[in-house]
Amino acid sequence: MRFMVMVKADESIENGVMPSAEELAEMGRYNDELIKAGVLLAGEGLLPSSSGALVKFNNGTPTVIDGPFTEAKELVAGFWLLDVKSKEEAIEWVKRVPCTDGVESHIEIRRVFEADDFIAS
Amino acid sequence: MRFMVIRKADEETEAGVLPGPELIEAMSRYNEELVRAGVMVTADGLMASDQGARVHFSRTGKTTVIDGPFAEAKELIAGYDIFEVDSLAEAIEWVKKWPVEDGHGNAEIEIRQIVEADDFGDAMTEENREFTQRLRDLTDGRAKE
Repeated sequence: MRFMVMVKADESIENGVMPSAEELAEMGRYNDELIKAGVLLAGEGLLPSSSGALVKFNNGTPTVIDGPFTEAKELVAGFWLLDVKSKEEAIEWVKRVPCTDGVESHIEIRRVFEADDFIAS
Repeated sequence: MRFMVIRKADEETEAGVLPGPELIEAMSRYNEELVRAGVMVTADGLMASDQGARVHFSRTGKTTVIDGPFAEAKELIAGYDIFEVDSLAEAIEWVKKWPVEDGHGNAEIEIRQIVEADDFGDAMTEENREFTQRLRDLTDGRAKE
């Protein structure tokens, strides 16, 4: 089964603070471990919400709101797509994500639909 | 440039309501248009948050696991697309054509730019460029499937 693992943003990420070369390398090594284990399907990082937008539909009519958006903790800063056997296995991988020392991090794990999940409906 | 196009959750997606035939048809037509235009890279839908979990890392690196569901449906994500376009404006134009059948015409879609190797500046060493390229190859591999 597939899980989407999302790193939540924080103020520093939303302010455009980029990782150091060493932090990037540490994440690269972690990603390589996921690849070697055959569990990584995709992974991407996002720029701060200031380079984004929100399209809100109201009874079919779209309104566009430019970023940045408040509530940094609810925003996504990056994600992995994992193919694992269980939620527990996903959690075990997530516990090993290299998080920056001295900084609190929140990572959300969400199960991804497979085509078969829609056929039953 | 690439954008992650995020369909925000709502009470129905969080309640596990699956899309009906009309929505599936409208969404398939929209997705086909995106594919034909060379805009769509990949897409996925997420199950309600009761199938998920959160891992919290403290400042000292201690982890705490919290099982779903999570409150605040509007802050959660119900699905995403990845678009390859020339500008944010082009991504917005595509999102404005999102099927009105979705969310009964009240869907909220967040558009976020995906980071590229050059955005990292001096931190993008030769080694890190290789790490980053291996990740990008995975995404592109999915796009070809």
